[in-house]
Amino acid sequence: MTQAEIKLCSLLLQEHFGEIVEKIGVHLIRTGSQPLRVIAHDTGTSLDQVKKALCVLIQHNLVIYQVHKRGVVEYEAQCSRVLRMLRYPRYIYTAKTLYSDTGELIVEELLLNGKMTMSAVVKKVADRLTETMEDGKTMDYAEVSNTFMRLADTHFVQRCPWVPATENSDPGPLPPAPILVISEKDMYLVPKLSLIGKGKRRRSSDEDATGEPKAKRSKHSTDNKEPIPDDGIYWQANLDRFHQHFRDQAIVSAVANRMDQIFRSLPVGYNISKQVLDQYLTLLADDPLEFVGKSGDSGGGMYVINLHKALGSLATATLESVVQERFGSRCARIFRLVLQKKHLEQKQVEDFAMIPAKEAKDMLYKMLSGNFISLQEIPKTPDHAPSRTFYLYTVNILSAARMLLHRCYKSIANLIERRQFETKENKRLLEKSQRVEAIIASMQATGAEEAQLQEIEEMITAPERQQLETLKRNVNKLDASEIQVDETIFLLESYIESTMKRQ
Amino acid sequence: MADVKVKVQPPDADPVEIENRIIELCHQFPHGITDQVIQNEMPHIEAQQRAVAINRLLSMGQLDLLRSNTGLLYRIKDSQNAGKMKGSDNQEKLVYQIIEDAGNKGIWSRDIRYKSNLPLTEINKILKNLESKKLIKAVKSVAASKKKVYMLYNLQPDRSVTGGAWYSDQDFESEFVEVLNQQCFKFLQTKAETARESKQNPMIQRNSSFASSHEVWKYICELGISKVELSMEDIETILNTLIYDGKVEMTIIAAKEGTVGSVDGHMKLYRAVNPIIPPTGLVRAPCGLCPVFDDCHEGGEISPSNCIYMTEWLEF
Repeated sequence: MTQAEIKLCSLLLQEHFGEIVEKIGVHLIRTGSQPLRVIAHDTGTSLDQVKKALCVLIQHNLVIYQVHKRGVVEYEAQCSRVLRMLRYPRYIYTAKTLYSDTGELIVEELLLNGKMTMSAVVKKVADRLTETMEDGKTMDYAEVSNTFMRLADTHFVQRCPWVPATENSDPGPLPPAPILVISEKDMYLVPKLSLIGKGKRRRSSDEDATGEPKAKRSKHSTDNKEPIPDDGIYWQANLDRFHQHFRDQAIVSAVANRMDQIFRSLPVGYNISKQVLDQYLTLLADDPLEFVGKSGDSGGGMYVINLHKALGSLATATLESVVQERFGSRCARIFRLVLQKKHLEQKQVEDFAMIPAKEAKDMLYKMLSGNFISLQEIPKTPDHAPSRTFYLYTVNILSAARMLLHRCYKSIANLIERRQFETKENKRLLEKSQRVEAIIASMQATGAEEAQLQEIEEMITAPERQQLETLKRNVNKLDASEIQVDETIFLLESYIESTMKRQ
Repeated sequence: MADVKVKVQPPDADPVEIENRIIELCHQFPHGITDQVIQNEMPHIEAQQRAVAINRLLSMGQLDLLRSNTGLLYRIKDSQNAGKMKGSDNQEKLVYQIIEDAGNKGIWSRDIRYKSNLPLTEINKILKNLESKKLIKAVKSVAASKKKVYMLYNLQPDRSVTGGAWYSDQDFESEFVEVLNQQCFKFLQTKAETARESKQNPMIQRNSSFASSHEVWKYICELGISKVELSMEDIETILNTLIYDGKVEMTIIAAKEGTVGSVDGHMKLYRAVNPIIPPTGLVRAPCGLCPVFDDCHEGGEISPSNCIYMTEWLEF
């Protein structure tokens, strides 16, 4: 794990789970797999706290455990999984586009809680949806479970591994850690639940004033006297499926960008006649992008999507885009030139790119120091004398992608730090505005007059209001930027993964 | 009465006679004669006298000394050249010959030194001499601006030395290339636009959005923005730069010999295209373009909390 990744994980864990979890998590990421006592000893935290932190981490699938020889259980943190937390907004948004608000809330609940039973999810989501609906309407459980089942069918949510039920009552000693198993076909099996009910609206605010703590109230409102029918069957969000979806989306939009003029004349809907379909398929297959290939004529023409090539093109386009924005379009020209021709001498670069020698040299060196381009030495004589050696410029896409990925991690860490800094700077102001809002809310509840409300509101002066507005805007901007950088991370990671798999 | 010794010389052993005979022989064999031939012609002349005669002819500049794989050859020098070099000495003639051999491309002074084995100072003097006599000229090479190549005065420098259509007086014409670049791109763009508008069958649409290199060449020639005559290869190099800009894609199709614009049985077609992804997420954040990225860390001089680029970007 690189320093940048560890820093980013630490920031994410701290933001989502707090100091203690962060300490344990980062320690595990740094040192790899360790047993419980060693963790407690090395981090200097009490055993109890370590246990609680590990519980949280395991619940969210960030830490896995393994039983080693001699019965020692070791815990291992998964750095890549921690980094996925950046992508949660994107997952939720995808669920929203595919399954509307219900789907969005289901996925959100699952991501926020790590693992949940289906009934718990359904209940919670129904409650939340009911709150947002108009007075008098409630959300039916059946609808929510329907959406849940559809999510399971399309594999966006999956079951967590569970302890296999032992056939005979085994009197042997319990293993130090439960062994969880799951079989492929069970992963998406939705249990037959008859969830009947409707979402409950939270009590309106006039009952808040009675001063009952919320926790106590919710205990009364939920009927947890009934046994939960699907106890032990936990569900989690299937991140790989979401990744598949993102990848498909990226490829589709890339092809659409390239062939948009042709797609515009495509009739809407799926009833395209065979000839037209043939034409479009041939067009796709002939395109120099080579995303779609024709691999035979069985069944009238066998077409295949070349995923590795597609990911490669997307990663290359990302690299080119970065070079263009950072160094200028002439540099981008040289970069693309060296990419296409694989290896070039200094003189050849100048000739092909039609850029004067001095400028071309300057740009090549700039890109070289940015590690986008590398030099390949080919000596003419055994004694590698510089005057008698060929120096060829070349682009190694894999290493450039890795370098850029590292930069992305650091950039996101910077953005998060800046966001926290901005919030900390204005902490006093934020606290003040929160106090004022609480006062206003309570006064509204007790039925205060307009004039009094006005007075309280004026406690926040206009420039302060302005400052708050700016702060909100900045925080939103930084947040949005994190998500955008995460898109780049996704493309680069997919490409690197696909390349490593092939090797 | 004194005894006058009269040396009886055999007939036509007169040095001038020998020389004239040699010259006649040379005229007879314009490709050159070897020593053997002269010996056969005049068997009664001693080797020494022959050598003297030949040396005289050489120094007078009437004979050329060449080496062949059989030995030495003597060739008559044509009179015009002989007249030119009258005032020069052997070394100059040697240097002149080397430069003449280099032909169109010219030769560098160091190479002259290697070939003639003369010291540098001598070479420089000779070159200056020849230049003042207007026998050779120096042409600045476009590849290395400090290098000067020498060639005969009346020869046209080769394209590789002056750079061809893109160079005017050793200067690379960037604006010219830029203008051509933009013009070609605009032409291809409008072609793609019209094809899109026509809203026909997609195959036809795609094919009509292509333009062959010949079409582009014709368009540019008609535009008349270039004072220099441009060939189709020149236009293809410009179109290649557009490909490296990512704005244009190229396909090669097989074309019958004889169709307009086809070279060796295939034609190159070009089409304006859009980029496949919009500018990527990383470059939308200031960190993606930051020049001091590697120095930035929390608590340092440059850190995310006090980053001026971020401040500017947030105010945007």
